[in-house]
This record gives sequence, C-alpha cells and structure tokens, in this order.
Amino acid sequence: MSVNQTTKARGVDIGVFRCQVCGQLNDQHDEYCVRCSSAISPRNYRSLQNSWALLITAAILLVPANIYPITTLTKSGIVTHETIFSGILRLVHADLVPIAIIVFTASILVPWLKVLGLAFYLSAISFNIPISRQKLMAGFHIIEWIGRWSMLDLFVISLSVALVSMGQLLDAQPAPAATAFALVIFFTQLAAKTLDTRLLWDQLDKNDDTP
Amino acid sequence: MMTHPEQPRVVRKKLFSPVWLLPLIALALGAWLGIKSIRESGIDVRVHFPSATGIDVSKTLVRYKGLNVGKVVDISIDDELKGVNVDLVLDYRANNLLKENTKFWLVTPKASITGVEGLDALFSGNYIGMLPGEGDFRDHFEAEREAPTVIPSGDGLVIELNADTLGSLDVGSPIFYRQIPVGNIVSYHLDEQHRIQLKGFVQQQYAHLVKQDSRFWNVSGVRVDASLAGIKVDTESIASILAGGIAFNSPDMSKEAEDDQLFQLYDSQQEAHGGSSFLLTADNAEGIKVGTDVVFRELPVGEVEEVKLTDNGVAIHVRMDRPYSDLIGADAQFWVEGAQLSLSEVKHPERLISGNVIRFTPGAGKPQTQYPLRQTAPETNGQPLQLTLTASENPGAAVGADIRYRNVKIGEVTAVKLSDDFNTVNISVDIDTPFTALITQGSDFIVQSPLKVKASLDGVEVSGTDVDNLTKGRIDLRPGKGKVVADQAQLPIFASADAANRYYLQQKQLVWTLHSPSTAVNSGSDVYYKKMQIGKVTNVKWQASDDSFAIKLAIDPAYQSLLNDKAVFWPTEALSLAASLNGIDLSVAPLGGVIKGGITLGLLPNTAADNHLLYASKTLAEHQSVPVALKLPLNSGIKSGADIRYQGNLVGSVAQVQLSEDMKSLTASAYLYGRFANQLRSSDSHYQVEDAQLSLNGVKNAASIITGPFISVVPGKQPELSKSFTVTAAASAIDSGNPMTITLVRNELGSIKQGTGIFYRGIRIGEVTQYQLSTEGQQVVITALIAEHYQHLINASSHFYDLSGIKIDAGIFSGLQVETGSVENIITGGIGVATEFNTQTAGKVAAPFTLESKPQSAWLNWTPAL
Repeated sequence: MSVNQTTKARGVDIGVFRCQVCGQLNDQHDEYCVRCSSAISPRNYRSLQNSWALLITAAILLVPANIYPITTLTKSGIVTHETIFSGILRLVHADLVPIAIIVFTASILVPWLKVLGLAFYLSAISFNIPISRQKLMAGFHIIEWIGRWSMLDLFVISLSVALVSMGQLLDAQPAPAATAFALVIFFTQLAAKTLDTRLLWDQLDKNDDTP
Repeated sequence: MMTHPEQPRVVRKKLFSPVWLLPLIALALGAWLGIKSIRESGIDVRVHFPSATGIDVSKTLVRYKGLNVGKVVDISIDDELKGVNVDLVLDYRANNLLKENTKFWLVTPKASITGVEGLDALFSGNYIGMLPGEGDFRDHFEAEREAPTVIPSGDGLVIELNADTLGSLDVGSPIFYRQIPVGNIVSYHLDEQHRIQLKGFVQQQYAHLVKQDSRFWNVSGVRVDASLAGIKVDTESIASILAGGIAFNSPDMSKEAEDDQLFQLYDSQQEAHGGSSFLLTADNAEGIKVGTDVVFRELPVGEVEEVKLTDNGVAIHVRMDRPYSDLIGADAQFWVEGAQLSLSEVKHPERLISGNVIRFTPGAGKPQTQYPLRQTAPETNGQPLQLTLTASENPGAAVGADIRYRNVKIGEVTAVKLSDDFNTVNISVDIDTPFTALITQGSDFIVQSPLKVKASLDGVEVSGTDVDNLTKGRIDLRPGKGKVVADQAQLPIFASADAANRYYLQQKQLVWTLHSPSTAVNSGSDVYYKKMQIGKVTNVKWQASDDSFAIKLAIDPAYQSLLNDKAVFWPTEALSLAASLNGIDLSVAPLGGVIKGGITLGLLPNTAADNHLLYASKTLAEHQSVPVALKLPLNSGIKSGADIRYQGNLVGSVAQVQLSEDMKSLTASAYLYGRFANQLRSSDSHYQVEDAQLSLNGVKNAASIITGPFISVVPGKQPELSKSFTVTAAASAIDSGNPMTITLVRNELGSIKQGTGIFYRGIRIGEVTQYQLSTEGQQVVITALIAEHYQHLINASSHFYDLSGIKIDAGIFSGLQVETGSVENIITGGIGVATEFNTQTAGKVAAPFTLESKPQSAWLNWTPAL
C-alpha cells in the first residue's frame, strides 16, 4: 500500500472506525467508543432510511407551508391572511424588490432547494446514481451553508408578532403555515443531520472520476 | 486483543424504522389541513348591486352582526349593463345564512342626531351588511337599496308599530320606558295600506317590559301643559326632543309580548290610553276644541280627539280613557261646562285657561256611538220660567250667561237672537223655578261688565266682578214692583246700570233748544250750571235756512227751575285766560267739559234778552251781547278777541276777523254788551282803530302794546240802529286814508331811514317809506308819504331840508351856536319842510324835491296861509 493509497484508504478498509460523536478512532471490533462510550458502527445504513423518512416528512409539510397563510395581519380591523408567496408579491408591489428577493430566497428557494438537494443525495446513495464528485461536493457545501438561512421567515414572523401588536389597528399573528414551515425547516435540518455522510463518501469513492 | 473470540451478535433487522411514522404524521397533518381548508374554503356568492360605488375589490368586507364573514373578490358589470355583479367569498360558516331571503346591502357611514351609524364603516370603509333569511340555499342575490331592519347586536325583542304619521321619528329614535331608553327604532316603511310601519328593537334586558297590552305613544318634542295649576313641561330625553322617540307603558298583569308583535303607535300618551270613542253632536263647537277634557266627578276620563263640521252642526269625537269606557250608557247626557267663579266660590279656575270641559251623567244600558251635546247641564227640577229680554242692540249677553239676583244664580241665558223684524235683539232667558216670583212688571236686567274702569282726577278705580263673568258674562235682575210676570213675558235689558238710569231719565228729562251761529259742542257734551252737570246735549243739528245750529239739551228734571227767562248759555271754556295789564284771570272748566266740550248755563240778575241763544263766550253771555258787523281797514291789526272800548271802558269785543273778498278790507263780527248796545249801534256811531303810539313824547294806548290794537267807539245820537259799521283807521296813521306820495332826491342818504318823520313847523305830517339809488346811481331817491289831511301844506314852492343831528357853528366872533331840532330829531332824524306861498298845486306835486342838508334862514320865516 502506498502512501497515496493509504491516504485514499477508508477507515473501514484499515479497520479503524471514527466515533461519529467525538471523533475518536476506535478499533473496528469495538462496539462503543473508548472515549465517549457512544455506539460506533462502520457505516450507519439505517441513517439513510431515517433521512429519507425525515425528508419526505419535510416535503409533505412543504405543501401546506406554501399553500396556507403564514401570517394573519390585522390592519384597521381588516384581517388579511398572507401566504408566503402572496407576501412576496405584496413586497414586489410595494416596490421592495430587494427584500422580496431575500424573502423569496429564504422562504421558498432555500427550503425547496434543500429538500430537492437532499432528495438528490439520498437518491444518489440509495440508487447508486453515478454523479461526478465535483458536483456532489459543490451541492453538499451549498446545502450545508444555505440551510441555516432558511429560518429567516420564522424570525420575521416571531419578530412581527412580538413587535406589531396594536389590537384592532395593527396586529400580526402566525397562521397554520408558519407551523408547517417551521417543521419543514426542522425536518430538513434533521434529515441532513441524520444522514451518515460516510455513505455518501463511499458512493463518491466508487464513482471517483478524479485521476 | 485478538484472543477473545468473536461473539456473533444477532441483530434483528427492523423492516421499517419508526422514523417513518413522521412522514405519515406529516401526511396526516397535511391531509387534515387540506380537508379542513377545503371544508373551510369560502363560499362564492354573487350579489347584484345597482352600482359599485363604495365597493372595492378585496377591501370591502361582508359583515354579519359585526363579524367579518367574507369579502368582495370581484366586481363585474352585469350583462344588461344595469348594475354590477359583486362576487363575494363568504366564510364557510356563513353557509347556513345563505338562504333565499337573505339580504345584502351596502353600509355607508351615516350621521344623525341620535348617533353615528356605521362609524366603523367610516374607519374601515364601507362594508356589505348581511341579514340571513329563510328559504332554500342560494348563492346569488339582489342587493337591497336600503338597510333592512338590522337588529342591533345582541338578543332582544322586535316589535312592530303602526302609525299614521312618522312625526320626527327616524331610524335610531329611542324607545323609552319610564324615560329610560330601552331600545330603538330600527326601520320604518309604508305598508300596503299606506300606513307607516315602524320596527323597534327592545334590548333583551328590557324585553320583558313589553307586554301584550303595552301602549306606545310618540314622545317627540316638548309637550307643554299650561294651566292655573302651573306649567308642566314634559319631555323625554334631549335626543327625543330633537330626534323624536317612542315611549310605552304596560299593564302589570299581562303576558309578555311576542317577537314581531304589532302595536299601534299613538300620537300622545293620552291617546295611547284611550278606550272607547263616540261622537257628540252639537250646533256649534263653542268652547270645545281638540283636547277638551271629558270629566266625571272632576276626574278627566277622556278627551276630545277631533271636532268636525257636519251638515247640520259639529261632530265631536271623544275618546274615553280605557278604564272609564264603561261609564257611558245609552241614556248618558253630555253638556259643556266652563269655569264657575263667583265672589263666594271659585270653581275650576283652571278652565279659564284650559277651556271648557264636557261633563256627563253616566247612563245605563248599551253604549251608543252618538250623543247630543247640551250647552247647559240637564235640569233636575221643574220647568223654568222663560222670558224674552229685549234691547235695541245686544248689550253683551251671551248664551250661558248667568242671571243673578243678589249675586245668586237664578237662571241662564239660553239664546240670543234678532227679532223677526231685525229691530231688536231678543235674549231668551230661563229663570229657575224657585225664583220666578222675583220677576215682576217693571223688572229690568243689567248686563254686568266683567271689568269696570272708572277714571277721574281722584284716581282710577278698577272694579272687577266675578271672574265668572270673564268667560260667560252675567246679567243682574233688578226686580220691579209690579205683578209677577207670566211665562214668555218681555222685559228690557240694559248694558249697564248707567245706561238703564239714563234710559229712565231720558223719559223724564226736559228738552231745551238753543240756536247758535257756530257750534262748539256735540251731542253727548255736558251742560253745566256753576260747574255742576245738569244735563246733556242730545242733538246738534245744522239748519240750512239761516246757517245756524239748533242744539237740543236734555236737562235733568231736578234743575228745571234753572230754565227760566234769566238763563243764558255759553260754551264751556276749557281754559280761559284773560290777561291784561290789570292781571291775569285764569279759569278752568270741569275736566269733563275740557275733553268733551260743554255748555254752561248761567243766570242773569235780570231777564235775559234771549235765553235760547248760545253766546260765544261767558263774557258775552253775561253782558247779553248784541252782534254787529264791522268793516276794518286792511292794516288795522285787529284780531279776534280785540276789545271794543268807549273812553277806555270795555263795551264789547270782536269775535272773528276775516279778510273781505276784495282783499281791501277786513270784516269782523263783534258783540256789543247788551246794556250799551242800543247807543253804540246808533247809525252815526263812530268806530276807530286805536293802536299804541310810541314816541319820545310819550306813550299813547300803552295797553295795546301787549293786547294789540282795539276799537274805540263814540256813540251816535241817531235813534235808528245799524247792524254794520265801518271802522276808521287809527288817527295817527299817516298811511291811513289817502296819503300823498312825494319824492325827494339827495346826494347822499345821511341819517334818513324808513319811518323818519317829515315835520312842518315841528309837527309830523308824514314819513319816509323807502329810499333807493336813482337809476344812474347819482342820487338817492327817497319816497315819503304825507298824511291826507296835511297834503295841502305841500306844493311846488315847498322846500325840504334835513333836520337830523346837531349843528354847531363856532366862530371867534360869533361865539358858539348850537342848533338842533327836537330831541326826537336828534335821535331819529327828521326832514323839515317849509312852503313859501300858496299855489294851486297843493297836494299834486309830481316832480321830485331836492332834500337840502340845511334850511336857508329865509325858509324858516315863511308863513304862508295855506
């Protein structure tokens, strides 16, 4: 085995398992991490299934999150229900296009991209779809980085509810879609977290197209 | 490390991770949300409005009981272009509200006196109101033009009210119970019978107050009841004054009203409580008006609702209050009664202001719809004695007036009519049975005026009789001494006791006729003797034959003895002021005479020449004056009242002075005192005007300075008498008679002025009348008059010279020589004249004389015989 081979070798190939919790390298026969006593396994194939389940949950919830009103706005006694998209349209009508873009990105683009991206990875793992390593890595980084911004909408809502409270004159309340949306974010995050990324790397190595 | 053997671990492979429950839950959640949202998705409703004014897409909301149940999602013009279709999306819960009779209308802000409606609409914009109805489901509707009855939020009782007029009621007008607002009028409209149907809403907490038998009445505005008892102002709240309102009350023992029960809305509380109603018929509606009370035992039990003219009288609609409806039976009797006031008793003073009332005796039997209304209370005993009182004109008796004797009512006037020949007024009177014996031959009746005002210099005395009289009048009986009269007898009636006394007096009075060239009295003037009234002038008549007046006097019989041959008459002078240098004599006639004029009777010590003549004044009368006519010079200055004197003694006076028609003289009518009349009227008596003459020499006739010129008379000796004389001018007057006019010229006027005398040997023979510049302005032309009887002194040889001033010649050798005319000349100036010899031209000099400034000494020595 060359050094090059060594560096390219996986822990499972050389009988070393990395603890997923504390990063301790353990012997492949150990069941529990010698440092933190977490359960260790060479590959968590079940995480794939869990990730799928969570992702599908998020995908299902994405529908009501977009269809139902996310805020109930009371203005001068008139109650209006705003869905995510109608809110964005309203911003556009109000000539607040930059904000509309931000909200669109955070509230629609990001969750959808995340759900689709995750589905893509999970499919790639489950169904051995050959995808170039570069694309996978780029997508992985994007999803990792972008996910945290998708809570923007909920922040806006929670701030609005806290700040805008003038009874009949002006009032904002979260509507059912807010819950669904929050759940979408929660489950996509969880799905991404749950997935044992080593499965992805295995897949990567299989389709390694780098020289 | 490698030594211990591998222990195979048996791991049971789970088919599905429990995490798969999550998508299932999410799915279930999503499905639930989906189903819910489908279930709760809005209902599309289309409402057709006449116009889209005030409706905005997605802004205009649909509200039901204040709740947003939907909103406008689209507006489109209908196919016929006659309105707009407004598409609404309603809350799924409104599904049950969408029935066939559901109503939609547009609510816009509306401000009225009772409040602002739709204030929320002012704030939130117009909205579409919705009122659910009955029927099958429906999703297209025609909008209402006006808001239908909108029941205020909350439960309550809806009542319907029928009214004839709306008054000032409006939607929102309050409904009061004991002045507490318990609800509102929510709508009104005309029903099929064109009556007004109001819908009222009574709040839930007050709903139990409305009973099946509740009565509603209009309390709009202010109701003022003014009576002697005080003034009562009834209003509900201020809002009801302005915006109207409805009040109601309810009997305690009654079931609660049902929803939508129909009530009658009455115009007033009184009406609301009304029970039965019936009709009273009468000849006239005297004293009856709408609102007149119907009283029983002095308790108002009903009132007149309406008074209408019918073919043969008036019909009076009476409404009895509900509890008293049963009082009226078939043989009930109704009559009008007013206030009854007398000195001893005051009954119902309030009726003086509130008006008469209708009283009745309740009858038994089935009530009828119509009763006759009597003017008087039904008699309970005997047939009254009926009399007819006659007068030339109605002395003020009215139907219903009391007939009284010693202030006790003994009867009543039943009718006042003109006699058949229209010459007299017949007043029919009923005398109550017990008093018929009072009415005897010679009785008369006096109408008592309600108010007597007696004004004299002592003060004003106002005496009122019974207050009773104010309304009905009252007639007093003055019994006679004859036999008791029979039924239907005729007796006289007088407007007052005075009138009656006058009437009787006139039957006995003495009539005396005076003649007078002029009249200072009229009929009704008093006749006085020593300032005491002894009679009256009854008639003044002008007689064409001699242009004089015949004045008829009626002298009270008591003074008959005064009318003898010594009586003389003169007009009473209201105020005579005889002022002379001797003093002032002021005499004032009795006040009555001052105002009305009058005639004074005086008695002479001896027989009067004419005791049927009305002299012009007391003086003339006392002197038995005889009239003469005088002709006076135009400028005599004699005025009416000027004296005629003989040697300074008064012998007559001028009564009247007039300019004669030819304007060349004055004619005067004068009186000469009877005693001297014959001598002074002798045909050769000489009358002359005397005037004051003022000069430095003295004053002549000084009194006439104040009293004016008088006429002096010199009696003649001829036995024959004349009735007219010519009065000659004052002796002193230069311009009297036919004076001669001469003209003087001089270079300058000097001290000559008008009135400057012309003196001949120091005697005034004429005077300067005017002066002017000659036409060329070279000289002063002085015109002077020479008295008629001095004209012969002036002829062509006359020389005129200035007498004015003082001439002083001073010389060293001659010494001082002061030369003046008379003192009068020094002051007033003067013109001297000297005539050299007699010529034939005396009195006829036409050429102007030259006025020299000083006489030549020769002139002063001329002594012609002229």
